[in-house]
Order: sequence, then structure tokens, then C-alpha cells
Amino acid sequence: MTEERKNLVFSSPPDDVDAVHAFLETVWEANPEVGEFDRMAFETALIELASNVIQHASGDSGVTCVLTVSAGDDGLTASLADTADAGGIVLMNREMPEELAESGRGIALIQALVDDLRYERRDERNVWTITRGRSAD
Amino acid sequence: MEFRTDPVGTDIAVISGEGRLNMVSGPLLRDVVKRAIDDGRPRVVVDLSRVAFMDSSGLGALIGALKSTREAQGDLRIVAPSTQVSMVLKLSNVDTILPPYTTAEEAYRD
Repeated sequence: MTEERKNLVFSSPPDDVDAVHAFLETVWEANPEVGEFDRMAFETALIELASNVIQHASGDSGVTCVLTVSAGDDGLTASLADTADAGGIVLMNREMPEELAESGRGIALIQALVDDLRYERRDERNVWTITRGRSAD
Repeated sequence: MEFRTDPVGTDIAVISGEGRLNMVSGPLLRDVVKRAIDDGRPRVVVDLSRVAFMDSSGLGALIGALKSTREAQGDLRIVAPSTQVSMVLKLSNVDTILPPYTTAEEAYRD
């Protein structure tokens, strides 16, 4: 199959993660071959990422994000570029906090759900990329 | 997301939500549970059967609510989590402190 690529531009406020859920609905409709578990894992990781970006940007003047999701034979990739200042989120190798912690799980969850999580600062944008390979059927 | 509270017996509240439990609805859940505790119902059952999706903010709210009920000598139990919610609970190692019950009746039995 050819690779499907879809884009969403959203700004918070007023948009929130519901915009990302609604957008993913259209991705799944266009890519019915993506399995149930892959959808669930990828959607959970992407929502964690978008929530983190929105949360860390709140208090400033808000944030605008450009989200690109592509689905192909190799799996699913999302790239989220945001206008927030650099360095708001500490990314790598976050351990899952203890059971009764009320926060700090977002990045650890993303790491558990995708094969690759990357960050780069590019043209005054934070660019986050997550990739999840296709599960065996 | 809206929550409904159904009082059961003298000290139990069954709280049901429909939609997604996330950074938007999490604070609402904390408020609803606090109201139940303030009304003298610290034994809280959260029916998740119509919660299709939960993220770590929603999970944080659930754990905050659990701690509030315990501070009031009660407890919080969850019922019928979806596959996605169960996945988040398991990956977060929270399934040990919030084991799922099948029905509300089963959850508040003991």
C-alpha cells in the first residue's frame, strides 16, 4: 500500500486533546488495515505527547501545533511541531513513578508504547516524532 | 465529560462518567469525588464502563481521588475499565492498587 499522510493544525487555547482524538478518527478511517492494538497504543502515546506540549505551554501565550501522522506498511509515525520555547519537557529515559504518584507518567508511558521517541529543535520549533512499528497479525 | 453520582446505602457513592478521562475531565472527577466525601460517602466506586479512553492526567486524577477517599477512612474502587484504560493501568503499575471489579455491586460488597 502507499503511505497515507494526514495533517492537523491546532492551537491551545482554545483547542485541546479532543482535536487530536477527532483527527485520529479520520486517520483510522482512511487506514482500516491498522490493527486495534496498534491504534490504541499509538493514540495513547500521541495524546500523552500532545497533552505534555499543551500543559507545558499553558501560562505562556498558548501554543500552535502542526501534527502529521503517516501510516504505512512499516507502521505509524507522528510528528508534532510546536511553537513553545525550547526545553520545556525533559524527554529521555523517564522511569515510571511509584504507584501513588499523581503525575510524571506521560513520557514513561510514551516510551512503553512506541519504538522510537525523538526530539529536535528546528527553525524555532520543537519537533517531536514518535514511531510505532506494525504489530504482527 | 459529565459524571453522575448515585448514592448507595449509608456511605457509598457510585460515580459514573462517559467520555474521555484526561487533563480536561480529570479535575471534574476530583471535584465529584470530593463532594461525595463531603456528603459522608467516602466509599467511592467509579464506574468506567463508558470511559473509552484515559491518559496519564486522568489516571493522576483517579489516584488523587483514591488518596482523598482513604484519608477520609474510605476507599475508591474501579469497575469495568475498557481495554485502553486497562492497558494504561497495567503499564503504570497501578493495576495493583486499583484492581478492576466487574460490577459496582461486587466493588462495594466488602
